[in-house]
Amino acid sequence: MGRVEEDGFESLVARLAAAEEALAEEVRRSRALNRIAEAIGAGHDAGSLVQTVVDGGVELTGAQFGAFFYNVVDEAGESFMLYSLSGAPRAAFEAFPMPRNTAVFAPTFNGEGVVRSDDITQDPRYGRNAPRRGMPEGHLPVRSYLAVPVITREGTVLGGLFFGHSMTGRFDARAETLLVGLAAQAAVSIESVRAQEAARAELAQRRDAEERLKFALDSGGLGSWELDVETRAYLASDICKANYGRGPDDDFGFADLVASVHPGDRARMTAAIEDAILHGAEYDIEYRVRTPDGDTRWVHARGRAAQTADHGGARRMAGVSLDVTERKRAEERQRLLVNELNHRVKNTLVSVQSIASQTLRTTETPEAFRDAFEGRIMALSHTHNLLTEQNWEGASLREIFDFELEAFAARDRIGFDYVRDLQLSPKATVALGMAVHELATNALKYGALSVPDGAVRVVWALEPDETGDGPHLRLTWTEQGGPPVAPPTRHGFGVRLLEKGLAGELSAQVNLAYDSLGLVCTMRLPIRALEP
Amino acid sequence: MKTLAALKVLVVEDEALVSMLVEDMLSDLGCIVVGPAAELEEALRLAGSADIDAALLDVNLGGRPIFPVADALRERGVPFAFASGYGEAGLSEGHKGATVLQKPFREADLRRVLEGLAAQVA
Repeated sequence: MGRVEEDGFESLVARLAAAEEALAEEVRRSRALNRIAEAIGAGHDAGSLVQTVVDGGVELTGAQFGAFFYNVVDEAGESFMLYSLSGAPRAAFEAFPMPRNTAVFAPTFNGEGVVRSDDITQDPRYGRNAPRRGMPEGHLPVRSYLAVPVITREGTVLGGLFFGHSMTGRFDARAETLLVGLAAQAAVSIESVRAQEAARAELAQRRDAEERLKFALDSGGLGSWELDVETRAYLASDICKANYGRGPDDDFGFADLVASVHPGDRARMTAAIEDAILHGAEYDIEYRVRTPDGDTRWVHARGRAAQTADHGGARRMAGVSLDVTERKRAEERQRLLVNELNHRVKNTLVSVQSIASQTLRTTETPEAFRDAFEGRIMALSHTHNLLTEQNWEGASLREIFDFELEAFAARDRIGFDYVRDLQLSPKATVALGMAVHELATNALKYGALSVPDGAVRVVWALEPDETGDGPHLRLTWTEQGGPPVAPPTRHGFGVRLLEKGLAGELSAQVNLAYDSLGLVCTMRLPIRALEP
Repeated sequence: MKTLAALKVLVVEDEALVSMLVEDMLSDLGCIVVGPAAELEEALRLAGSADIDAALLDVNLGGRPIFPVADALRERGVPFAFASGYGEAGLSEGHKGATVLQKPFREADLRRVLEGLAAQVA
């Protein structure tokens, strides 16, 4: 009895000790599980989270090494596998390809269930797949094997937890239970971390998009605005305020906006806003704006009212505004320029008509008409060339002579004597250009330049204001060495242009003296009629 | 109603070649040319006091609009027409609808316009 009792007692003590040890182990494991669960819950990024999980798994199962293979999807949408190791250096795995969907691994990666084996090399599923038929050479020596899929509540397989030991029979049912719990915990945490990461990424993307939008608006000089339809609360960006001549800190509400629109455009502007709000019309309008400094600017505003089905109208209107003053001014300049061009073209046509008509009245034959007419058209063309070179801002007196006489036969027999050249308006340039042509042509045909020894002297000087009507230009064209000249019996185009035309157009006093030595043309022109 | 013969027409035109043509045409039509005035001050003086029956006004006088002259003529009841390369588009608000002789024009065009003006002469 004693022995038996003793044996029984010893056995009892031993069983008790074993039970106590088992209990202690269970407590240890439970504590470890709690600690690991807490660590998992505290994880903020997927990388450190899976490391915590696999470390915890090794601790809970007493495995020599563990691995967590998990699927990730990169930004390009490509799916690939990452892994985290515990109990073995990373180098121990780097030489091997990712685990394939072999008979051993399939139940885990397909989420079918747990694979637990006291000796995986004896498992019927082991060594079934070509080419290796088993672990590759150099692989960690795995005999005891425990693999659990990590599956979300929706059934998506996130990856698998794999544990191994070089000895057989190391993973019991309890280890499996713990690991299944750990895997569930891991799945929940990974999902939550991924959701957080996705939210952060979306937020960052939105911030980037907002930054890009702001940059685009800023660099385009676009202001942005929002209008609360009911309260008429108006929110304008800094650039939008600047478009209306306001600083970033100035108050600029809807009433200020409407008040700053030019009275002539205000009704059109408010009607367009109402139309956009009530009927969903596109708000796209250009109007004049009066800034607080008293400047007038042009603003182009565009916007749209967001329609709400439940409200039966718009609650909010938003859009952009752009200062288009420069463009408007350019358009105005363009319009004036086109009008001016049209005016000049029409006047030039009348000039040609006038030259034709007068040349016809003063020439006897078609040949003479053609000769004189062509010469005058060319003279007109020369002054236009000169003015075009000077951007139609005028030309100097000397330039007028040079251009008109450029291809003139007796050019070298015309001498000049003056102290200062004079800048003339386009109008004076055209009028004097034609006068120079008439004088030179006449001299070549009938005057001093019609004989080899004849010459012309051109002299000009400024006369100070003596008569109270401002300073004048006195210009004389003196012919010498030509045949004796007498006043013409009939007034031709040239004489008329000089005596009456210049007199009218440039308020000039023109005198033609038919000296026995040659023609002397004296012009007295008021500077006010000549200057640009 | 007057005929064109001896109709006294004030010509305001700042370009010599253009005014020479207008003078010739008016002479051919039997009219008497008053002016031509090339400057606004001279044009205003003639429009206010000269013995004239009608006037032909270049819209743009050396970059200055002619409308003060037109106003002075209207005040006196002297009929006038604008000569312009712009057509009616170049007229100020107060003178829209006035007779415009589009440049360039033929003698027949000028005759038609002048006959219209002469018809307004009392």
